[in-house]
Amino acid sequence: MFAASEFSRWRRTEGFKGLALVSPPFLYALAMLAAPLAAVVLFSFWTQDYLTLDRTPTWNNYRTAWSETIYQVLMLRSLKISALVTAATVLLSFPIAYYVSFYIDPRRKTLWIFLITIPFWTSYLMRIFLWKVILGYNGVVNGSLMGLGLIEEPLTFILYNQNAVILTLSHAWAPFAILPIFVALERIDRSLLEAAEDLGDGPLRRFFRVTLPLAMPGVLAASVIVFIPTIGDYVTPRLVGGPNGLLIANMIELQFKKANNAPLGSALAISAMLIVAVISVVFLWLNRRYIRSRG
Amino acid sequence: MNTIAKQIAACAVILSTSAVWAADDGLVVLDWSAYDDENFFLGYIEKHGDMPVFSMFGEEEEAFQKLRAGFKADLTHPCSQSVPKWREAGVIEPFDPSRIERWDDLNEIMREAFKYEDGYYLVPADWGTTTLTYRADLVEEAEMESLQVFLDPKYAGRTSIGDNVDDAYALAYLATGLDDWTKATDDDFRKASDWLRKAHQNVRAYWVDGAELAQLMGSGEVLFSWAWNETAVTMSADGFDVVSNREPVEGSSDWFCGYANVTNQANDEAKAYDFINAWMEPRSAKYLVNDWGYGHGNSAAMAELGEDVINAGLGEIDAPVLSQVPMDHALRENMIAEFEMIKAGF
Repeated sequence: MFAASEFSRWRRTEGFKGLALVSPPFLYALAMLAAPLAAVVLFSFWTQDYLTLDRTPTWNNYRTAWSETIYQVLMLRSLKISALVTAATVLLSFPIAYYVSFYIDPRRKTLWIFLITIPFWTSYLMRIFLWKVILGYNGVVNGSLMGLGLIEEPLTFILYNQNAVILTLSHAWAPFAILPIFVALERIDRSLLEAAEDLGDGPLRRFFRVTLPLAMPGVLAASVIVFIPTIGDYVTPRLVGGPNGLLIANMIELQFKKANNAPLGSALAISAMLIVAVISVVFLWLNRRYIRSRG
Repeated sequence: MNTIAKQIAACAVILSTSAVWAADDGLVVLDWSAYDDENFFLGYIEKHGDMPVFSMFGEEEEAFQKLRAGFKADLTHPCSQSVPKWREAGVIEPFDPSRIERWDDLNEIMREAFKYEDGYYLVPADWGTTTLTYRADLVEEAEMESLQVFLDPKYAGRTSIGDNVDDAYALAYLATGLDDWTKATDDDFRKASDWLRKAHQNVRAYWVDGAELAQLMGSGEVLFSWAWNETAVTMSADGFDVVSNREPVEGSSDWFCGYANVTNQANDEAKAYDFINAWMEPRSAKYLVNDWGYGHGNSAAMAELGEDVINAGLGEIDAPVLSQVPMDHALRENMIAEFEMIKAGF
């Protein structure tokens, strides 16, 4: 009796309401994210022996993942490509976000943001195939350059290599960089810019001393949003990467499927995750110091 | 409870019932993508009025993982290399030959290749060849008489090999003078791998499916490739001057696939046998040969086609043939690992 009344009293508290609200998504996340992740961690300590799994814990998969040249090269290549994609995406997105934030009539800004998302209305695969059409041997770029008489033989360094992977990914992720930078720029108090001008800053100094530091949280968010998922992308390198454009994610997929070695695939996946986590933390820390030193 | 809780409960009910819908039809076939073509099993549609439910895969290992994870299906479509492994893992079980109407017409070699102590595991359905396939309008035909052309530095960036370990090693073994890979020694394996490593220098892209290869060859970017005979058939039909040469001095390869009976079956077996009987009809064989360029598992029906078979590049030849028969699984796992290293440039 006492317990029941205690319970019904507890049910009326704020705490219970909060718990009831958060429980379904929390359980969902636990089942869909944490459980599979835990399974991958477990797998990475097991050993595949043709059709059976040897469940004795071992570090061997990690030893292989970190010591064999092929995995080192693929990991470094993935990091390099992701870094280049991030740099290209953020540098190209900033002017667009800046233009929309500073030069567009406030009543039309929503429309502009809406227009930026249009490429997302088509499937990602369609966009990759369109890049193949554009960059192909007798594609749009080569056709135009040859038509203009600028080249005699079609250029082959633009498709089926790492350049093509960088280009395709930068295009695909641009909106994810534009939006956070745009939001950061919108939050800048315009009177600060006027103050900078009143105190004698030219447009360039004003940009580097006031606008850019204030937009930094957006730039940082954009970098992290682009960097983290591109490391795990395997569709793009598979379709436009050619023989030398394969990344660590392709190797992980391969271990789970053709190579029939899920434990090694898991160890590679966990290793990649750790590396990305470390880089992201370092990046966040550097940025925090940057903002503090400016503040 | 409040309305939010009710809505969540309703969603849970909808989610749990929709999971059942995947297996409500009487026949589930786990098949290669594009094999859900009704011309292969018109007899089944005539009898039951509807297509079976298809679940597609692009690669056998994907299907294998799915079956091992407990996916319920009635039939699946492995190729010869995978059958022993799938059998050992217990995902497929034997057929009852008495329920297959044209059992005696089936290709005897392929049928008997998968007879184990407990019965027949594979109904041979489709087979084909992997050959040196080239754009006759863009290369010197005289050069296309040897597989060593894959190493010619002149063709850097102009060749393509399938992203398929069996085909790639069939090419490498043939080029290094071995036409039976069940006899391959460690030394043969090393020689073949070295050859493939050199051939990699010229490869523009490893093709994953026929459509991708057709694009590569259609644009003239890839001049010749190691390809399934389907490519020459379909590209010629599209007006390209593409030739499949099964008789370079080192030879060419052949492969076969078929239907296997899934252990973890979704339904009663009667419809599965109806499906197989429909596949084995002569009209299915005719369609497969004429429109896909592949051979059919019903050899009596193939014999009746006569001329069509030769035109599709499926007749007898005078050069070595490496048949992609099952091999020792340890060697195959080495091949898979090595091929991936080669593709990544090591």
